[in-house]
Amino acid sequence: MTDHLTRQQFLRRAVAGGATLTLPSVLAACGGGGGIKSGARTNESTTPVKTQLAKTVTWSNWPLYIDINEKTKKHPSIQQFEKKTGVNVTYNEDINDNDSFFGKIEGPLSHGQSVGRDIIVLTDSSGLPARMIKLGWLEKIYKDGMSNFDNLQPSLQNPSWDPGRQYSMPWQSGMTGIGYDPNKVGGTLDDVNELLDNPKYKGKVTLLTEMSDTIGLVMLANGDDPTKITDATFQKAVDRIQKAVDSGQVRQFTGNDYASLLAKGDIWACFAWSGDMVQLQADHPGLKWNLPKDGGMLWTDNMLIPKGGDIFTASTLMNFYYDPKIAAEVEDYVNYICPVVGADKVLEKTDPGVAKNTLIFPTDQMLANAHQIDPNAVLNTDYKQKFQALLGA
Amino acid sequence: MSATAEPLATSATPARTKRARRPGRGPLAWLRRHALSIYATLALIYLFLPIAVVIAFSFNEPKGRFNYTWEGFTLQNWLHPFDVPGIQDAITTSLEIAVIASLAATTMGALIALAIARYQFRGRGLINTLIFLPMTTPEIVMGSSLLTLFLNQGVNTGFGTIVIAHIAFNISYVVVTVKARLAGFDRHLEEAAMDLGANEWVTFRKVTLPLIAPGVISAGLLAFALSIDDFVITYFNSGSTVTFPLFVWGSARVATPPQINVIGSMIFILAVGGMLVNVAVQYQRAKRASATA
Amino acid sequence: MTAIPRTGGLAGLARGRRKRLAPYLLLGPGIAWLIVFFLVPMYYLGTTSLQTGSLEIGYTFNWAWSNYSDAITNYHEQFVRSIEYAGLATIIALLVSYPLAYWIAFRSGRWKNLFLLLVIAPFFVTYLIRTLAWQTILADSGVVVSVLRSLHVLSSDGRLLATSAAVIAGITYNFLPFMVLPLYVSLEQVDERLLDAAHDLYASRVTSFLRVTLPLSLPGVFAGTLLTFIPACGDFINAQLLGTPGQYMIGNVIQSKFLQITDYPQAAAMSFILMAAILIAVTIYTRLLGTERLMG
Repeated sequence: MTDHLTRQQFLRRAVAGGATLTLPSVLAACGGGGGIKSGARTNESTTPVKTQLAKTVTWSNWPLYIDINEKTKKHPSIQQFEKKTGVNVTYNEDINDNDSFFGKIEGPLSHGQSVGRDIIVLTDSSGLPARMIKLGWLEKIYKDGMSNFDNLQPSLQNPSWDPGRQYSMPWQSGMTGIGYDPNKVGGTLDDVNELLDNPKYKGKVTLLTEMSDTIGLVMLANGDDPTKITDATFQKAVDRIQKAVDSGQVRQFTGNDYASLLAKGDIWACFAWSGDMVQLQADHPGLKWNLPKDGGMLWTDNMLIPKGGDIFTASTLMNFYYDPKIAAEVEDYVNYICPVVGADKVLEKTDPGVAKNTLIFPTDQMLANAHQIDPNAVLNTDYKQKFQALLGA
Repeated sequence: MSATAEPLATSATPARTKRARRPGRGPLAWLRRHALSIYATLALIYLFLPIAVVIAFSFNEPKGRFNYTWEGFTLQNWLHPFDVPGIQDAITTSLEIAVIASLAATTMGALIALAIARYQFRGRGLINTLIFLPMTTPEIVMGSSLLTLFLNQGVNTGFGTIVIAHIAFNISYVVVTVKARLAGFDRHLEEAAMDLGANEWVTFRKVTLPLIAPGVISAGLLAFALSIDDFVITYFNSGSTVTFPLFVWGSARVATPPQINVIGSMIFILAVGGMLVNVAVQYQRAKRASATA
Repeated sequence: MTAIPRTGGLAGLARGRRKRLAPYLLLGPGIAWLIVFFLVPMYYLGTTSLQTGSLEIGYTFNWAWSNYSDAITNYHEQFVRSIEYAGLATIIALLVSYPLAYWIAFRSGRWKNLFLLLVIAPFFVTYLIRTLAWQTILADSGVVVSVLRSLHVLSSDGRLLATSAAVIAGITYNFLPFMVLPLYVSLEQVDERLLDAAHDLYASRVTSFLRVTLPLSLPGVFAGTLLTFIPACGDFINAQLLGTPGQYMIGNVIQSKFLQITDYPQAAAMSFILMAAILIAVTIYTRLLGTERLMG
């Protein structure tokens, strides 16, 4: 799709029959990573941003990740935005896995085509936002028009993979820690070493298929630093996990299907995400979640603008959600960690239960104990391969 | 074949008594007689066990967002099955796609099966291999390479591309199923019809089609099931369109609302109910026909 | 009345030409569809499998056969395991499905279509919900496991989920209709009068089954086993949800290479190796069954 055929060339090929099936043109047009393509492009956008709102904005997000009015089935915060700006929002809940979604959009993006979306939401611990920046597939957000930008939690303002937040704005955060049933494990469980070594828990433990979460927590238990990973520390974590897998200590690696296993009692303890526990506790108040004493992992789902998206309108939409009042509306429903300063103050009046929940508004002490994965490590193919080998692939 | 009648006579008597199969008494004999039905019943129970659980859990009343453990009985989910936003569109889309894709694939596949079973032509082996290949391809590469094709041709992904993809993978299953039926097909019946003055089209309609109907219907059902349950290939070629499996997998990260069970049960019940009505109608028609005969 | 001449004169000539064209007309739409929407994408996939590189540095086509050799050296364990699991699942499915299909074909009378639908209707319910239901049924704390433990089929802390048994059972269950329906289709065609004739000739029930019904149902057996075995080899979802790392199949590896590692050339090469392996297995199977006739 990158060569422009002259009329003559096109007619000649069409006459030859099967225009697109000549080998060179197929190779050139090859997708899925095919053809002789140039590598990553640098993100030099020299054209100034048009400061005019578009008529529509398309936003792809994870399911059940925004406030909703159960009766009208509409999203109040989106309706408020539409009323305020006159922009029509197409909200699609079509992201359910970082890697799969990336697999879906890398085709058009690597061909230089737009993906038809103005905002997408991806997790930093998957390494994909960082990767998309390096590949030049993201637009810079228009910060000049973002009055609420400074409402961003200070701890999230300068991630090493996007210093100064040029390409991303956090949507929600979450923590990874230990989810467990105190009745089965006999009390509080806050030590990853127990999960991996205690023979009492053999076959009753699951770890996560997310490399950052699993490797991160194990490295912390080893006394290593997941924010700066070396080959040695990585290998140590891998070896430890391999031992636990081989001995049958670890039952399975799961996505969020650990929730059903924990609820049924098939497992007693697992690496778990904070937001899931809030939901599980509604029906199983006995289940608990802790940050491990050696530290847990912090991840953020980030709003990004893929190439071809409308920068100004998208940035305006992002800015809207950094108003503490709007953020509070969203948080009341979503129950993950809010990245907006001041939302908890709003909720203290409207829904104090949520405002006091430390899984939604963690204390400073908790945040100090939650670390973000080394962004270079998640991009390292060797590491990824080693981790996948642990999973059996 | 023996020349004398004697051996036959002597073997006839004991065999006859053996064959007479005295009505056996006792549980063992009963078991032997009904072994097949018992086995079939067990097999059907095995098939339905998870569905029973799905239907049971559709009446569950979890306080949280997950439907994993039994919390209490409620009819609310059945009264408000489409309360979960997006679920109605998802299931409607899935049904539309499944109907179109299975009709198209069944038609094209049945024609291919007919051609392979009936005629000699060049490239037979190649065609047979081509039919098998889509079934051997892992879904993820089939889905993504189709996406590449659409990208290169500038086709926007969405409803249409999903249908195209579903037809593509369904054809093979249809061909193999219909061929199994054609293998035992008696050509003489067709020739007899032609001898009696029917042209090819009439023969096809009145002789061939009814005889291969079970094969075609079975193939259609398989294609429908494959289409309505497909996830991976659909995911890559769906653009922003959401089908029911995409919806279920997507929301499963944060929730498994009982309404998913309700919709699943509904499809099942509607299908079975529709078939029951069909059987009843056929029965009435047959009764009326024999009464007036 | 004389029969309509079929081969004489101009009309016969036209009909003759139509007859020659007939197979191609019948094949046309379906094969064209497969060529455009399957073969062409496979061609792209093929060129991808011989490339090296990454999204960052770009891909170059340089006849990288190493993609293939690396795949076999590194993952032959998963390849073999996939064939094993798929094979076991197919055999079990056959054993479960044949009597059921037989019963539907011969004993269900006017309810045939209903039972046929009953066989496939469970599969209109999404895979994920069905599997969650199985996870509930086979849960460690559930009835089934408790019974098996008290019968000492399982050890006192044994489990059914997250084992090879669970993965194979999952594959078997999910492909049952693909075995039942072709079997039914073939069995239903068996003329009962043939069985009556066998009966009259003093054949026992078992003999008439073995000598009459079974051979006549072989096309169905052939079709059913293919429709089960072939896709089962590439399955990944059962291993992912019901298995441990020790059960992962080649489908999981391809999935991982594609999505997590984003090594498209490797994923493509592995897919072709899988396709080739399956085709070889199928060809051997066809020869064994002596089914040139069945292949069509």
